[in-house]
Amino acid sequence: MSKEFRNLHYESPKGYFNISPDLCKSCGLCKEKCPTDVLDWSKELGVYGSPIIEPVRIEQCTACGICQMVCPDAAILIEKKKKASKTA
Amino acid sequence: MVNKLAMPKSWNADTKPHKFCPGCGHGIVLKILGEIIDEVGIQNRLVFGVDIGCSLLAWDFFNVDTVQTHHGRTTPVMVGIKRANPDLLCIAYMGDGGGYAIGSQHLVNSAFRNEKIMAIVVNNCNYGMTGGQMAPTTLPGQKTETSPYGRDPETMGSPTLGPEMVAAIAPAGAYVARGSIGNVRQLKRFLKKAVENQIAGNGFSFVEVMSSCPTNWRTNAKQTWDYVEKEMSKYFKTGELRTPDEKREA
Repeated sequence: MSKEFRNLHYESPKGYFNISPDLCKSCGLCKEKCPTDVLDWSKELGVYGSPIIEPVRIEQCTACGICQMVCPDAAILIEKKKKASKTA
Repeated sequence: MVNKLAMPKSWNADTKPHKFCPGCGHGIVLKILGEIIDEVGIQNRLVFGVDIGCSLLAWDFFNVDTVQTHHGRTTPVMVGIKRANPDLLCIAYMGDGGGYAIGSQHLVNSAFRNEKIMAIVVNNCNYGMTGGQMAPTTLPGQKTETSPYGRDPETMGSPTLGPEMVAAIAPAGAYVARGSIGNVRQLKRFLKKAVENQIAGNGFSFVEVMSSCPTNWRTNAKQTWDYVEKEMSKYFKTGELRTPDEKREA
C-alpha cells in the first residue's frame, strides 16, 4: 500500500494551488521566492507541527509555478487553468 | 485528491516526507534528479550511490537500486559497478565533505581516468550532519563551529573550487558544470546534460550544486536565499566549465 497525503485545494484566477500538510515542513523558501507575494503562514499545522504555507493573497497568483519548483518536499502543486478558446 | 502529482514518479512515496531538514537544498536537487530520471526513462537501469554525511539520507529516496558507501568512496564504488556492467548508469551523490575533503583523491583520479560515470557534489559550505564544522568549501569569513571568528584564508586556506579542479584535468569528453538551487531551470539543464553525457558514454560527468543549510547557517528563509544567491555566488560562479564537444589533447 502506498502512502496517501492530504491535500488542500485553492482556486486562483489563473490556476489551482494545492498544498499537502503531510509534506510541508514550513521552511518558507516558497514564500520568499514568490514574485507576487501571494504566500503567508497558515493556521493549519504541517508535518513538524509548525504552520504551513497558505495562499492568503490568492487573487495575485499568476500560477507561474516557482513555488512548486523550489519546494524541497514536493508539497506544492500548481495546476494552470486552460485558456478559454476564442471561438467559445 | 491526493497530492502526489508534484512528486516525480521515481520517488519512493512511502518514505516521504523525507529526512532532510526544512529548507535543505538536497530536496530540490533530488526532485530535479527525479524529474530527469522520469523524462529520460532510466529508472530501471540506474544505480544511485550515496556518501556519508547528509547525502546518505537519500538512501531510500528513489525507487532505484541504491548503495551507501564510506567517506568519499562513492565515486570508486560507482566506477567499479560501471566497469562490471557497462549497461548500467551510475550516479555518485556526495556532499562537499565527502566529495572534496575525504574523497577528493577518488574524484580527481576518476576524472583523470575519464570514467564513464556521473558525480554530483552538493556544496553547502559546511559539514551539515555533524553540526556545521568548517568544510573545504567554507567561504572566507564564514563563521562555523570550528571557525568561530570566521574562516581566515591565511591560516585555513581558500575554498575548494571543485569543478575548476576537475575541468582542468579531465580529458576530452568530460562534462563539468556548476549550478545553484537559486536557478532551478539552469540546474536542471546542467544535470540533464550530465545524464545524457553518461548515456552517450563520452566520459566523466560532474556537476556541483550550490545548496543551502539553514539549520547550521542559522538563517531564516530570506537569509538562506540571500546567502546562496549573493554570498556564495561571489566566490562560486555558475556555468558550464567543460562540454564534451570541446576539443582537447589527451
